[in-house]
Amino acid sequence: MSITVTKIRGAWLAGMMLVIFAANALAQQTDPVKGTVKDSATGEALIGVTVRIQGTSAGTTTGPDGSFTVRLPGESGTIVVSYLGYVSQSRVVNAGQSGVNIQLAKDQNQLGGVVVVGYGTQRKRDVTGAIASVKGEDLARQPVLTATQAMQGKVAGVQIINSGQPNTQPQVRVRGTGSVMGGANPLYVVDGVLTDDIRNINNADIVSMDVLKDASAAIYGVRAANGVVIITTRKGKAGKMEIRYDGQAGFREAAHLVKMADRNQYIDYLRDAAPSKDPNTDAAAYGGSTNWYDALLRKAFQMNHNVSVSGGSDKYTYYYSAGYIEDNGIVRTNDFRRFTFRANNDLNISEKWKLTSQLSYSRGSGQNVSLFDIYGNIYRAAPVVPVQEGGRYGNTSAWGNVANPMLQVDKRNYLQQDSRLQGNIALEYNPAKWLKLRSAFNADLRWGYDRVYNYQFLNDDKTFLVAGGNQRQDNSKLQINDSRQQGWVWDNTATFDHSFGKHHLTVLAGSVTEGFYSTFLLGSRINVPAQKDLWYLDLGDPNVQSTLYNRGDKYARQSFVGRASYSYDDRYLLSASIRADGSSKFKERWGYFPTVGIGWVMTQEGFMKDQQLFDFLKFRASWGQLGNDNIPTNAYINTATVNLPYFFDNSITQGIALQDTKDNNLKWETTTQFDVGFEFSLLDERLSGELDYYNKKTSDALIVVNIPSILGDPDNTYITNAASFKNTGFEVSLNWKDDISKDFSYNVGGNISFNKNEVTNLAGGQALLGGGVGQQSYITRTDNGQPVASFYVLESLGVYQSQDEINSDPNIKNDPNKGNIRPGDLRYKDFNGDGIINASDRQFVGSYQPKYFYGFNLGLKYKSFDFSADFYGSGGNKIYNGKKAYRFENTDNIEADYENNRWKPDRPSATDPRLITSNLPASTYFVESGNFLRCNNLTIGYNLPEQTLKRMGLTRFRVYLTAQNLFTLMRFTGFSPELPGGTIDYDNSINNRVNTATNSTNNTSGILDAGIELNAYPITRTFGFGVNVSF
Amino acid sequence: MKKIFAITGAVFMSALFACNNYLDVKPQGQIDEEAAASDPATAQNLVTGIYNNMWVGKLHGFPFIGVTNIASDDADKGSSPDDAAPTQGQLDNLTMDANNSTFNDLWSGYYQAIARANKALGSLESSTSLDAATKSRLQGEVHFLRGYFYFNLVRIFGGVPKIDKVLTPAEAAQDQYQTRASADDIYQLIISDLEFALANLPAKGASGSAVGRATKGAAAGMLAKVMLYRRNWQRAFSLADSVITGKVGPYSLVTDYATIWRQAGANNSESLFEIQTGTNATCDAAVEVYSNSQGPRAGGKRGWADLGWGFGGPSQSLVNEYEPGDKRLAATVITVGPTGTILWDNFRIPGRDSVENDRYNYKAYHSRTMEQFCGNQDRLPKNLRILRLAEVLLIHAEAALALGNGGAAAADVSALRVRAGLAGKPSVTLQDIWHERRVELAMEHDRYFELVRENGLAPGTAVAAFSKHGKTFVVGKHEVFPIPFTQIQFSQGKLQQNPNY
Repeated sequence: MSITVTKIRGAWLAGMMLVIFAANALAQQTDPVKGTVKDSATGEALIGVTVRIQGTSAGTTTGPDGSFTVRLPGESGTIVVSYLGYVSQSRVVNAGQSGVNIQLAKDQNQLGGVVVVGYGTQRKRDVTGAIASVKGEDLARQPVLTATQAMQGKVAGVQIINSGQPNTQPQVRVRGTGSVMGGANPLYVVDGVLTDDIRNINNADIVSMDVLKDASAAIYGVRAANGVVIITTRKGKAGKMEIRYDGQAGFREAAHLVKMADRNQYIDYLRDAAPSKDPNTDAAAYGGSTNWYDALLRKAFQMNHNVSVSGGSDKYTYYYSAGYIEDNGIVRTNDFRRFTFRANNDLNISEKWKLTSQLSYSRGSGQNVSLFDIYGNIYRAAPVVPVQEGGRYGNTSAWGNVANPMLQVDKRNYLQQDSRLQGNIALEYNPAKWLKLRSAFNADLRWGYDRVYNYQFLNDDKTFLVAGGNQRQDNSKLQINDSRQQGWVWDNTATFDHSFGKHHLTVLAGSVTEGFYSTFLLGSRINVPAQKDLWYLDLGDPNVQSTLYNRGDKYARQSFVGRASYSYDDRYLLSASIRADGSSKFKERWGYFPTVGIGWVMTQEGFMKDQQLFDFLKFRASWGQLGNDNIPTNAYINTATVNLPYFFDNSITQGIALQDTKDNNLKWETTTQFDVGFEFSLLDERLSGELDYYNKKTSDALIVVNIPSILGDPDNTYITNAASFKNTGFEVSLNWKDDISKDFSYNVGGNISFNKNEVTNLAGGQALLGGGVGQQSYITRTDNGQPVASFYVLESLGVYQSQDEINSDPNIKNDPNKGNIRPGDLRYKDFNGDGIINASDRQFVGSYQPKYFYGFNLGLKYKSFDFSADFYGSGGNKIYNGKKAYRFENTDNIEADYENNRWKPDRPSATDPRLITSNLPASTYFVESGNFLRCNNLTIGYNLPEQTLKRMGLTRFRVYLTAQNLFTLMRFTGFSPELPGGTIDYDNSINNRVNTATNSTNNTSGILDAGIELNAYPITRTFGFGVNVSF
Repeated sequence: MKKIFAITGAVFMSALFACNNYLDVKPQGQIDEEAAASDPATAQNLVTGIYNNMWVGKLHGFPFIGVTNIASDDADKGSSPDDAAPTQGQLDNLTMDANNSTFNDLWSGYYQAIARANKALGSLESSTSLDAATKSRLQGEVHFLRGYFYFNLVRIFGGVPKIDKVLTPAEAAQDQYQTRASADDIYQLIISDLEFALANLPAKGASGSAVGRATKGAAAGMLAKVMLYRRNWQRAFSLADSVITGKVGPYSLVTDYATIWRQAGANNSESLFEIQTGTNATCDAAVEVYSNSQGPRAGGKRGWADLGWGFGGPSQSLVNEYEPGDKRLAATVITVGPTGTILWDNFRIPGRDSVENDRYNYKAYHSRTMEQFCGNQDRLPKNLRILRLAEVLLIHAEAALALGNGGAAAADVSALRVRAGLAGKPSVTLQDIWHERRVELAMEHDRYFELVRENGLAPGTAVAAFSKHGKTFVVGKHEVFPIPFTQIQFSQGKLQQNPNY
């Protein structure tokens, strides 16, 4: 390694020198060369074609008539003419030559261009696997933080579940949920760095995002089972320096709010729910008429600025960018800012040696709020209590209700900071045309800092309008978490690429070495002074309730990869790869992940030559095995429980126990996937598309198995590889584009995916319960023959209208609780026929996993205007309205709609019960349809015309208006049909870090509890104005 | 071309070298078996870990209170009628079944403790860093604890699987461990454990002993008690005698019975073995919910900050057992008066109309004002007195009587009666000793087992006692509690249920 480092250092210096040389090269003057560039087939002039002088960074682009003018540095030289989708040409010209007529031919091999396949790229037409590609400009167009959010609805088979919270990643499911305890999100590979978090990547820097959906992901072996998303960032292009600015500003608001009962409706409900409570007799104290959503939510400002400089020459290309995002939450005080910087450089040291680097730094900082509590309390807070008057707060808890959410927000300061340095440096050596050797060192360094300060306040009349209640914080408390992560990957690959007549063979072989280390120091103390500058643990009480945690994690991997792709006559395609993964996480170190794919380009066959319909038609099939090792590092090793105190001679002694029973042979989950598909384009490539069928079986999936207590394990369970799951599905995507005239072009695209998810065998493992909703306990059950996390509840049969109906109901004929049932209560189905309604009458009633989901988009260009619209939807799934079901107190507020429809003696209702109390069992009354269709993005833009641009010295100037999440059509009565599950602050909460470090293997967040709206963050709607300038 | 292959080869070779040992990554910040084995302190720390296990609620908390006190005729379920009705309510009425979670809690709690003990024994055996004296002392402590745990198990369930070493999941699936050993086999294990402890433990105050650690005296007393259950009167007598006469350490009765269960009485001269709470430095060093679950509970008009959940209050049957003038009644029972009750620390429980129950367990009462209290209601520091000299006297008395030494028996009983403010007795019957046992050790987690034992010696005793308590004891069934159904399932049905459950 030391040799590499020295070389890299030298190369950096050389790179910097070259920038200076390149700039000097522009100075000379000769007579101009003039010419035009046209399409070889149609003869149409091509606009914006790059014409570059070989060996320099000088060059130009063609104008609206296809003409160009360049000056050579010497008397003669070579110009290189290149244009996207066309085969590049070079031509030797002399200074002063005019009428250089260049005809570019369409690159027939470039259907959909090139895709990234892991440790290399392939022409899309040669690929035998299901790989989808999204262009960077389609991602950067939307005002969202992460690229995955912007990918929603654009790729068949990839389900993206967003939450509206700033600085969070959506949950992503590639072809269904294939694991319940091993993590179900895909692996991200950002310029060679393997990660599960891409919040540090500026969308404007992304050139493409490729999703390996099928077994072709096996090149990433033990981490590929959930699919792999490969992100490639921009590089400079040889040619004139380009400076770009993209800016956008706007505001966010809640896209949809549930209307809560107002003062009068609430009082009406209280008469039945809590007869002893009468706010009117206590008018002085509780005279409020509050809409808590109005009080706590706001229109939040949001903006995004990006500046980039790129360019280069044959020797050296560069891309530098800086980005700034400010993304405020719609809950007061919740905000987030992110700064990103990127430097991507390519340096050709000689004809054979090349040095490349891609480096990024990001720093995120924000004020978090405990959204889980806050949203829960806004929903439940009584409308009769005022929010705040004259600096004192309404006392909701004294009224017998939840805590005042405004006070909660005001009395807590939660700063989160995250800095990340990520990138790679690679050295390439091409000893021969057909061989490339590459060594790349990738690093990912991360520093986190969380600081939570809870202000001290009492439940007295200094804080509240009325003293009392239990909302108080007796002591101020400061908690600080300092964390650090470092990961590195060293890739060494050799790529052989050669054609022999009609045979073409590419062989890749390589080794990958990887290491990871993380640690944190988390401490808290009470009675720290309230001034911000004094928020240091030293100033807290060292003796009482002082905590300190310090834990770490470390693992290593060593892998070998090999892949061979062979094609004959561009007609028959065969590829195979294998990855051997050695992981320190398991006792059984080595796993082998093979894949095989075949392809048949039918349009290359003689018998297809005469048909006019298809321009391109390919059949492909693939099979392979992939792993999922998303399991805590020490899950298989017995480790000691420490600091178990006892007192001898009245002084404390710390003991230990070695008591956990673990499966010492615990290993990765294995997914075997089979895929067949067609790719086609027809009608002069106006219509193109793909069809896929897949069958994905996960075996050795982690599951909790109960064990006899004689083993002495504290919770009498252990985790082992026993369960299996199956996902089968069908995907279609179609794209139509047409240019009606020079002024008018349009494109329409759509995709739809059908997936069936099933637990095929728990193999003695316990059915997994998840999704707790207060006293209703667990709502979802993952059991044999059912989709993962199916809702498992009583079937509600409507409302009892009279005592007679209750008396004669066979469902409750033996129910000991019968005497407590009154008209207006819900009636349930006695599924097991014992005449008693209890938990054993629960049934499976569907799950949150959609049967199908789809996206479609429309793009129009008319003269200087452009218009685009993206839609996304899903269907066939269910949502559990957990927030409605979860009642803390009878004084919790209710939804206006429920109050208007509930059963009352003088106003019978067949659907809504007279009361919703905390002891109402989980039932289909709370299960609602999950179907929805949303307009994800609508954008209208205006480009300044060519002539004007020229006058201003610009190459592009566009202004646009954009709306994100403009509207959603849904039957669900809650806030949002997108419910990723998990504790809402999952990705960045302090507790999560502690849990991760304690190696709890219950990595089920977002899998077992998705689709339950408990305290969901409402999806936000964004309106923005933006500008794109380049020169 | 050769050069190319040479370079390619070199890159791969370097990667291969890197991989040698590279994948051996140790767990960070966690002690694995290997690290534990190489640490000389491990064996000792594992022993401390067993003591720590005694704070777990499943061993000495709510389920334990249930099977020892609430199920017996000494206590009622208490609390509000609905609270814990499916668990403690069943026990109180002797209508429990195998699905009652109390039994699974006890079963898993005690086997967790036994597993810790087995682990420690293994570690001590292989330890090379401990000197011989320390090693045998620690082994003695572990054997004492394991014997005590099995003694509780065998009295609760009868014969249970005999686990005397660390099991792997594969071993645990073998019939040998999945099925129940006979009660006799378990008693054999208990006796050999306690004999080992007796032979290897230092006496109280001797070199190597410490307050809280098992001692020779504790082992002698515990073994004497086991011998009483085995009806080995001779051995029970001689062991009890060795305690009383100071041969295994200095023990004497304290003068004020009422202070025994208070903080002031912790580790007093009468104590042979008790669960320590020490200085409660971490605020959770105590048996889970022990005092809180038995603390006085607000009810009716309420209006006061109550002290607990109100479970396991002394029964009318127990109150009736006391002779007039017996000071032990007031020291054992908090009687809620119509106009309020002042406790020893001057805490005033309001009148009966604001309180849920008639009586509460005074021995479980923890004073928030005059004893250590750092705010954690669920872990109030109360030392559990597992064995004290008064019980050894009663063992001595019963064994002496059985051996025909009536004089010694009367002397033992009289010593306790005099302390309680009653007159001594010139001679005693077996019934006198049993009466004395009941009032002396009331609410001290012994009564249910004791009744079953007495019933074995004098059939009809249990039925009569429970009938006075208003409950029905079914002979041939209620001598033991049901084997938890969950565990029967885990054993694939190999664990056999007790008769009539």
